[in-house]
Amino acid sequence: MGLRAAISRRAGRATSRLLRLVGRNASQLPGRVALALDPRLLASLRTSLSKGAVVVCGTNGKTTTTNVLARAAQEAGLSVDCNWRGANMLAGITSAMLFDKGADWAVMEADELSCVHVLPQLEPRWLVLLNLFRDQLDRAGEIDHVQDCLVEALAASPSTGLIVCGDDPLSMGVARRAAHHGTKVVAFGIDETLPPPPDRVPEARFCQVCGAELGYAWRAYAQLGDFSCPACDFARPALDFRARGISVTSAGVAFEVLDGQGAHLAKVEAGFGGMYMVYNLLGAFAAATLMGVPAEAFSRALAGYDPKNGRLQHYRLANREIVLNLAKNPTGFNQNISLMLADERPKAAFFVINDDYNDGKDISWIWDVDFERLAEEARAGRLRVVAGGHRAHDVQVRMKYAGMDAPIARTVAEAIRALEAGEPDAEGEADPLYALCNYSALWPAKAELDREAEAL
Amino acid sequence: MSAAKSLSICHLFPEALNLYGDGGNILTLAKRLEWRGIEARVQEVSLTERPHFADFDLVFIGGGSDREQRIVCERLLAQKAELKAFAGDGGALLAVCGGYQLLGHSYAMGEETLEGLGLIDLTTDRGSPRLIGNIAIQSEICAHPIVGYENHGGRTHLGAGVKPLGTVAFGHGNDDKTGEEGAISGTILGTYIHGPLLPKNPGVADWVLARALEHRHGTAELEPLDDSVELAANSVMYERLMRGEERE
Repeated sequence: MGLRAAISRRAGRATSRLLRLVGRNASQLPGRVALALDPRLLASLRTSLSKGAVVVCGTNGKTTTTNVLARAAQEAGLSVDCNWRGANMLAGITSAMLFDKGADWAVMEADELSCVHVLPQLEPRWLVLLNLFRDQLDRAGEIDHVQDCLVEALAASPSTGLIVCGDDPLSMGVARRAAHHGTKVVAFGIDETLPPPPDRVPEARFCQVCGAELGYAWRAYAQLGDFSCPACDFARPALDFRARGISVTSAGVAFEVLDGQGAHLAKVEAGFGGMYMVYNLLGAFAAATLMGVPAEAFSRALAGYDPKNGRLQHYRLANREIVLNLAKNPTGFNQNISLMLADERPKAAFFVINDDYNDGKDISWIWDVDFERLAEEARAGRLRVVAGGHRAHDVQVRMKYAGMDAPIARTVAEAIRALEAGEPDAEGEADPLYALCNYSALWPAKAELDREAEAL
Repeated sequence: MSAAKSLSICHLFPEALNLYGDGGNILTLAKRLEWRGIEARVQEVSLTERPHFADFDLVFIGGGSDREQRIVCERLLAQKAELKAFAGDGGALLAVCGGYQLLGHSYAMGEETLEGLGLIDLTTDRGSPRLIGNIAIQSEICAHPIVGYENHGGRTHLGAGVKPLGTVAFGHGNDDKTGEEGAISGTILGTYIHGPLLPKNPGVADWVLARALEHRHGTAELEPLDDSVELAANSVMYERLMRGEERE
């Protein structure tokens, strides 16, 4: 490590200690301070890793996939640097490596647009690309731009292989272009016909190569499925990691993983998640396997997985179960709606939408969420909804046009009070409440529940 | 009895023009008819179909990415005369964002210039930076301000005598200079405002529906609805913008 890097690392560490001393979040600023002194500090920090780095990106599922993968590596006895809490830009990733003492691996989630800064410095062995959905058009631009950035990032780090969701035509669009530059591509996906999903294809209906409308043998959700172009050779690739025997219930997900030749690799089970989680866990399993993590260690990591990061976190408040989850774009919301509908109990939902900079200022996407799927349950008196967040009034309008009345609440406690007004029987078990929050709305809700409720 | 009334709505190319929750605009039109006992017949027309515009009372064109807009533009130019006849006959045409740009004579994108439908005397050229953010305007067509979101690289210039939809109270509008937003010509309304446009701006939705109703049934009279939820959302955002809590 050169003098400049050593000084900047020392400044970053000092910042981190200071922030912790005063009880502040040290996930970003230390990295920012250090990068101001040496913009290429991450490249120096990388050299102390004994095995290398893996970066996880994709619109939805980064944090969970990264946490599962890092824990699996730890279960295998490997030491890991990780941005556990999801600070996923260059400063956050640098912060997570400032105190590195020669770890085996760095397992980092990276924002899709940050990959172009992170990859050339970190030169990871693998980049995991989970999926690409429309998200934050005002900040990230159209998906084409995100794809260009990822291709550029891979071209700037030629030693990085790509582990990609083969079922996602948008991610495969990136893989196809990267392969032209010589990037090694490993694909994972589902290898059985699934029943038709309840949602529509929101985007990527057109071939990434020639523009014709894609056809599907079957579809899992959103644009993910066994796709092929009727006019050219763009199609789902041969899969190197295949999931079969998929079970998705309100109790969680389970599936078998096979290799490219069809040989059994492992049985994967998790007590959480819906169809989207099958892909997250399959991507994590593929990366873990390529890192040399045994399947048993992966299973142990899942069995003990409880990151308490607001993703599918369960609480109990008095006589009510509360499920907290992140939902920050149409695909994420639609998957959460599927998850809610799989719960057969009468229930309530608290939809919380903020429009801070980190969320995206433009919330027009709430009109792309298929809230109409809930209307029937609401009419039958089996679902009640409450609107929250800085844009609670917009949520309320959206609910009205989906055929549901939604009172407005500022906090989870207020939402519960609004629900109790319609619950004559205060005795016994109350309807479970699903609090679905977008990015900046998640933290205050989690803080409130951590304070007031019992974590399950 | 109004129960026998119905309107036919054409949603153009939803598979390509769906960038900013455009489905919300269609949903709003349909619901506001349904709540008044008027049947809404919404037809989604895909790029491979050739709509018969004379059968419709209302045509909606949404926004898409540049690539998609190019495809749509080519597709619609083949039916330019039919669309012109539709609007000339009093059919209501609502065009948002990319669809608004298509209404003019041309859209200059750097080297390339796309020919437009020529339905309103306006032209668009691409400028920098993109104009992105919340927007509020005052318009003659409704009592409440129109609020929403804009995100466009194009600068739209209205021909002499073309009326804008309104004047900008917050945000950028057509070209970030004139303080004007959108355009209205007869029964055609074009605007950069999405968010989407209609749910939180019930006056705009009803203006468009009134034109369509006039086209079909000869009367523009719409029963009033309880818009308190919509107007609350409208005024919360308008107040927030006017208080200066939002940076442009």
